[in-house]
Amino acid sequence: MNDQILGVQGVSKRFGRHTVLDEVTFGVRAGSIHALVGENGAGKSTLMNILGGALRPDSGTVTLDGRPAAFADPLAAIRAGIGTVHQEFGLFPNRSVAQNIFAGREPTGRAGFIRWRALGRQAQAILSEIGVDLAPSAPVATLSVAAQQMVEIAKALSLRPRVLILDEPTSALSDHEAQRLFRLLADLRSRGVAIIYISHRLSDVRQIADEISVLRDGRLVGRTTREASPADLIGMMVGRHIESITPSRRTNLGAEIFRVEGLTRHRVFADVSFGVREGEILGLAGLVGSGRTEVARAIFGADRLDAGRIWLEGRALAIGSPRQAIASGIGYLTEDRKALGLFLTMTVGDNIVAASMPKLVSRAGVLRPRAIRAEAARYLHRLDIRPVDDRVEARTLSGGNQQKVLLAKWLSAAPRVLIVDEPTRGVDVAAKAGIHRHLSQLADAGMAIVLISSDLPEVLGLSDRVGVFREGRLVTILDGATATQEDIMRHASA
Amino acid sequence: MRFRVSVIRAREAWLAVMVLVVSGLLALAEPRFLNASNLVSVGTGMIYDLPVAAGMTLVLALGGIDLSVGAIIGLTSVVTAIYLRSGGSVALAVPIALAAAGGAGALNGVLVARFKVPPFLVTLATMSIARGTATVLTSGYYLSGLPPAYLQIGRGQLLGVPYPVFVVLGVVVVFDVLLRRWKPLHDAYYAGTNPPAAVLSGIDVGRLVFAGYVASALAAGLSAVFMTSRLAMGYARFGELAELRAIAAAVLGGASFSGGTGSILGAALGVLLLAVISNGFVLLRLSVYWQGVVSGLILVAAIAVDASRRRRNEPR
Amino acid sequence: MTSAQKGRVADIARHRLTPAARYTLGLAGTVVGLLAIMAALYPPFADSANVEVLAMNFILEAFMALGMTAVIVSGGIDLSVSAVLPFAAIVTGLLLRAGAPVPFAIGIALLASAGVGALNATMRQVLRVHPFIVTLATMLSLKGVNLVITGGAPVAGFPESFALLGRGRLLGLPFALVLFAALAVAIGWFLAHHRYGQQVYLIGGNVRAARLAGVHVERVLLLVYMLCSSLAGLAGVVAASQYVSASTGFGQNSELRVITAVAIGGASLNGGTGSVGGSVLGVLFLAIVYNAFAMSGVSTYWQDVVSGVMVLGAVLLAQAAARESRTRRAAGPGERPAAAQVR
Repeated sequence: MNDQILGVQGVSKRFGRHTVLDEVTFGVRAGSIHALVGENGAGKSTLMNILGGALRPDSGTVTLDGRPAAFADPLAAIRAGIGTVHQEFGLFPNRSVAQNIFAGREPTGRAGFIRWRALGRQAQAILSEIGVDLAPSAPVATLSVAAQQMVEIAKALSLRPRVLILDEPTSALSDHEAQRLFRLLADLRSRGVAIIYISHRLSDVRQIADEISVLRDGRLVGRTTREASPADLIGMMVGRHIESITPSRRTNLGAEIFRVEGLTRHRVFADVSFGVREGEILGLAGLVGSGRTEVARAIFGADRLDAGRIWLEGRALAIGSPRQAIASGIGYLTEDRKALGLFLTMTVGDNIVAASMPKLVSRAGVLRPRAIRAEAARYLHRLDIRPVDDRVEARTLSGGNQQKVLLAKWLSAAPRVLIVDEPTRGVDVAAKAGIHRHLSQLADAGMAIVLISSDLPEVLGLSDRVGVFREGRLVTILDGATATQEDIMRHASA
Repeated sequence: MRFRVSVIRAREAWLAVMVLVVSGLLALAEPRFLNASNLVSVGTGMIYDLPVAAGMTLVLALGGIDLSVGAIIGLTSVVTAIYLRSGGSVALAVPIALAAAGGAGALNGVLVARFKVPPFLVTLATMSIARGTATVLTSGYYLSGLPPAYLQIGRGQLLGVPYPVFVVLGVVVVFDVLLRRWKPLHDAYYAGTNPPAAVLSGIDVGRLVFAGYVASALAAGLSAVFMTSRLAMGYARFGELAELRAIAAAVLGGASFSGGTGSILGAALGVLLLAVISNGFVLLRLSVYWQGVVSGLILVAAIAVDASRRRRNEPR
Repeated sequence: MTSAQKGRVADIARHRLTPAARYTLGLAGTVVGLLAIMAALYPPFADSANVEVLAMNFILEAFMALGMTAVIVSGGIDLSVSAVLPFAAIVTGLLLRAGAPVPFAIGIALLASAGVGALNATMRQVLRVHPFIVTLATMLSLKGVNLVITGGAPVAGFPESFALLGRGRLLGLPFALVLFAALAVAIGWFLAHHRYGQQVYLIGGNVRAARLAGVHVERVLLLVYMLCSSLAGLAGVVAASQYVSASTGFGQNSELRVITAVAIGGASLNGGTGSVGGSVLGVLFLAIVYNAFAMSGVSTYWQDVVSGVMVLGAVLLAQAAARESRTRRAAGPGERPAAAQVR
């Protein structure tokens, strides 16, 4: 407690009638990594915002170096040496990596004119420090989500913080990149930086955290070390028994109903061929950038296909647009739910029926409101979406519930083959288990599922077979029951 | 969907209240406001603005904007007049007018939907082109001498009410129902909220956007048909500032520059409110100075109230 | 640092690879091409006298474009400039007619113009209303004010010394043009290379992130809108000097021309991109088109038509240029084979 750099004492926070934090005492010491875990809605983000100066507590104190501190705004916290890497990116899309890293703090000469060469050099230095190969001049909008996250991290590090707070830093990273980040964090720790690591990913947390604190419903319910078992942690987070994340494997697979052959898109992917059987889950693993999402989008008609053929239930398909794909019986649950999947300012009900309207209208095209509400209600209950109200705006839901709404949209559209892309990214443990269960049930009911995921335990746990991509090619298909993470990584990186 | 409907209903109710309040104040200040002939003139004055506001609502809901509607009114009016003066048949005059307007809308639609040019720029340019073409065709003069049969279109009456009132009200009501309840148009809300997500949900956003601009232009064309008929002339400057009034009405009615919302009924009420206010200016013989200031203030107030209501519904 | 890294650093220094830079280059090419075509078709076009006329025809829009660039880059828009222009002209005129010294009259006019900008910024901030609406309201109100204070009649009776601004010459060029060039360089350089100037881009790119980066968003926006209005006021003063009178009709519809020029110049109406250089090219483009009409003797009524067509053409061309070489996000926010590999 004495060598604690940053902490909170008995802090509470209420939003309206909802108590978000309740007498929380928490802190981090120099040269250590303190993880904060909890479900969505447990209060992690609020606590992070208080520590980072974006919010002020209703009661209790924030302490810096053992003394009470009050941050008027995030800037004050930054000046006090606290750097935060948020989950929601605060990047400037039209500006370069270097401009983003040093936004507002660009190196200037006399009279305040920016020295561009120094900017480039300093940016390159930071990027080299974290071992990321990005061009400082690259416009951020053209980067992948993982690369953007790296820029965020570089930005926080460029402040030379004494305390670094990271919110779900690996949500968009592959295992390989996450390991890179952990090595970096370990390095920072050895240099005396205090790190607060907020995450759902228990595997991450058990790997790097010195201390783990568990938040549940706004209260700190436990503090432990990395020695704790996942079951213990989950138990503390959820307060109830959660069934295993890995559902049992299916055995009643039908005939092959979906086949693609020779899918090629110049310079993006080449000669991709695979088939999926009725009731089967085909996992697609590979490093970020290996082409899986591109293949999915091409199959779905969202992007161009230079060569290749697609068959569904024996019929050759000519898919020129997502509309044709959906009509043919293909569904695609997109990777980036906020940008490409959800209509955030529209209601949950609107979102659930967004792709299945054709079956909810009369022959003349008139909407049938009762049928629509019934359909929405059906999936609200089936997927346990909270709040159970089809009239709230989708953006008010937590990440896990938003993902469920997205899944509901595709269930409502009832495709014969469903491609899901990173279905549990940014989703808390309980919701994740639920989504896995639903995918498994869908497969049991006869749907063919293609599962694209960078979460290897997820891929191995759910898939009957696992295809591995490397640099735009499908290099092998492994058996789901016998494949290991090492096998996959070996094929994925070579 | 019910939630959004209830929000829009609230806005429409609020607009109706505003209309009543302003009318009430006006009636107190100047009792002539309530004269039957004055009310009729307010009503018929709205004929021209109603269709344009409806079309603008659709375009805004799709996430775009159409600055060319005023110019399209002028162009359509001129085309109609030229056709009629050269001996064309009255029966074909209206289809030709709509075709001309629709053509301009199609140009807008192609440039926005297919070539992805920002709508502000596209419609600014087509506004210039349409207004310019109309001026060229008339050298700035009025074109009168239209056949009496054509004048009947706008001036003929049924039960003492001019035909256009029925047509325009009918169009507005039908349009409103279609936008709320007919899938092909209702999809506009999805397309305007998040175009890529709408495409990935199976909605043909490109076609919808194209149709939106054509519809907006056709609405302007309709307005021009009636204007040309009732004022018995074709004039390149008809419709000046109509786009600004339409935008104001549409935004009052719930549309937003970011797309995804809008109500045609609300826009119609917006037109009514603006019409009552203009009528107030005339009756109270407000100087031009006050007209400008008051218009400005009302616009700002309406939007501010709307924005604050929207903010109250905002999430964490 | 490896040579590859050094090369990348150099790119930063030269902004060479940005799509924005490519767009501006494409536009410059289009403008030059247009000039060449006009010169070939109508030899008198390239005459220095004609070039001067060409430039001076759009000098008012040029001044306004400097300020409008900043406003649009910040993510906003200012429709009131077309009313501020006559307003400043009228204020100057009335003061001069009342016998005030020239610098005083100009100073008051500029101050009043800046005040309008401050009003715009404040209303936007306090009422949380889109700048389109706020500045539309200001424009309508100011138009009314202009009518009232002039009683509808033009203001005349200026001292001859006032004509210097609009008609005088410096270094062989019209004084207004020299003033414009100096302002364009100063403002352009500031926006592009000064830390505070770059803050405008930050605000336009992501206002929340800008705040977190320490930008005083409200203060910067206040200054930006004041700058825009002040330049519109300056344009009004120049106009009054050119015509040695002030009328409410000055600058009619100019806001559309100015916004068009800035948009042609590469500024997105969502904010975050654009440049003074691009906007100047945009104004130049419009000026060339206008002048081409006058030269070719085509009825002036055709101007609107063809300039509309040319605007579209220019934007399409420049868009095509930027699109070709820009790395496309084919996969959406997911995987990108080429852009980033983690070692």
